Amino acid sequence: MQTKYKSLLLRGNLLIAAVLMALLATRTPSLTDTLLMWLAAAWLVITALLLTFDHRRPATLPWQLLPILLLAALLWGEPGRHVTWLWAWAILLMLPQPRWVLLLGSLLALATWWPLRDLLGLEQWVLSGLLLAALMLLGLSRALDLRARRQSALRRARLVPGLPLWPGERLPGDLTLERKRSLREGVHTELLLLHVPRHRCWPLAQRLCRLTYRFEHCYQLDPTTLAALLTSRNPDERRELLWRSLEAHGPARAIPLAGLSSLDDERRALARQPAGLRVIGGASDA
Amino acid sequence: MHDRYRHSSRLFALWHAGGVLLLLGMALWLYLMGEYERIPLPAALSLLMMVATLLNATREEHSRLAAYLALICGYLLIAVELPRQSGLPALWVGLPPVLTLLLLPLAPAMLLNLALTPVWLALLGNGQLDGQMLLGYLSLVAVAALVPWEQARQHALLRATDPRDAECATTGRETLHELLESEVERAGMLGQPLGVLLMHLPQLDMAGEQFGHGARQALLDTLCQAVSSRSRDHDILGREGPADFWLVMPDTSESGALMVQHRLEQALEQITLMDTGPMDVRLRLCRPRAGESWPRFEQRLETCSRSLADG
Repeated sequence: MQTKYKSLLLRGNLLIAAVLMALLATRTPSLTDTLLMWLAAAWLVITALLLTFDHRRPATLPWQLLPILLLAALLWGEPGRHVTWLWAWAILLMLPQPRWVLLLGSLLALATWWPLRDLLGLEQWVLSGLLLAALMLLGLSRALDLRARRQSALRRARLVPGLPLWPGERLPGDLTLERKRSLREGVHTELLLLHVPRHRCWPLAQRLCRLTYRFEHCYQLDPTTLAALLTSRNPDERRELLWRSLEAHGPARAIPLAGLSSLDDERRALARQPAGLRVIGGASDA
Repeated sequence: MHDRYRHSSRLFALWHAGGVLLLLGMALWLYLMGEYERIPLPAALSLLMMVATLLNATREEHSRLAAYLALICGYLLIAVELPRQSGLPALWVGLPPVLTLLLLPLAPAMLLNLALTPVWLALLGNGQLDGQMLLGYLSLVAVAALVPWEQARQHALLRATDPRDAECATTGRETLHELLESEVERAGMLGQPLGVLLMHLPQLDMAGEQFGHGARQALLDTLCQAVSSRSRDHDILGREGPADFWLVMPDTSESGALMVQHRLEQALEQITLMDTGPMDVRLRLCRPRAGESWPRFEQRLETCSRSLADG
């Protein structure tokens, strides 16, 4: 598969960059700089190891902030030695990141360029500042295009290629659709809500997708809530079987679509509910 | 979608215009400083950038030629001005690789960056190889390339997870096959009938070649609109090939599906488009046979779709 292949190349590039950083670190005399370089190399290696091809783990904020802070620290620490890296600001702005991180990056770029005045002399200082600003604008305009596309696509895209796990934003629309459909076809459809511990969410989501039929979509509503739409002719037996093989121990609710009034109310009720599967409008607790 | 392209190409045009101003400002500065022999280069390059600006302003998509022009300007300026800058070669050696990565797609940018390594180092080191500078340059190239990589990965990820087709309001091919498989499974489990209506638009290629992108898009949009307004919410319209569409109709008996086909045929016959004239759509109904497995049915659908396209 082409996409897998590309991930592999990216991983290779990350490791090459890490090796070069480590080489730079061994050739740097001052201790702080060496530490910073090793930190950068470690960041690159860990990123390479954690790289996965899906949307489920949008890089957490501290992780994204680290390169920006490292770059600023390097340029502040010994500007004469690391001045080559000044231009890296322009390219760092291209990464998909929240607005305020972009702003912070731009401010740090300004703050690292400003002290270079003594080092460069007025003419070169002004020229380099103008060029850096121009390059940063170019980087921003390239990032904007991807940003717009990403924001609109993330609301409808599945979370992992090939797995029927969808973002929670799609559930309300699908609920209306499935309700109409189950009424027309005379089939029982119910919404299963699961509250799971944060660290078990991902393995459980995968298992849920495996245990349900292909036509029963699964959703991740937030980092601790999973949902699935179950369709069958004999709901009790099916639900029992699924619940037993799922081995989830947290609270769960099964609500027939015909009796579902508000998704938000059900989610609040789920948060207050003790562990175990509760069937709403049906037989007793299981 | 087109608005976004226009928006980003306007941004690029603005950026190139900024480059023109920068070069003119530099020429003016040199004039004021009395260094007349250095003026022709920025003045000439500002004309080149002007061409790049116009290219970006008049075209809908971001033009590759304009990017190369801007790159040539940048390279010449750096190559001619760099040896004069006795101050800090380490600063200027970082500029060309970053400029290249920002202007070009990843592969050509990396090729250029690696190929030009000796040029930049020779220009700056006055013919001597400076190990520290070489290491710095290479690590900057390697680290800076990571960002376009990440962007490319995000693009690929969006393409792989987006259920919609890129050109029209239908389900994309991969998602279509997945959904169809799940509907076949559902129909089998609940004992419901299922129908798939195959459609082929023979005019599509011709419309694109003779009348351009607009006519092709109009044809696609009209078909999608006509079909979705005459189908139920849970029917799935997907794009199997550029000109082949499948309409999946769950819980639909043979007579129901034939009725849908008939109604669609009638409706599409009456549509006339401005460029391409009366709409020509070929339709055929395909249903899973009793006990037919999904791979067999999928194969049969694909064969059927091909024979429909061949006429």
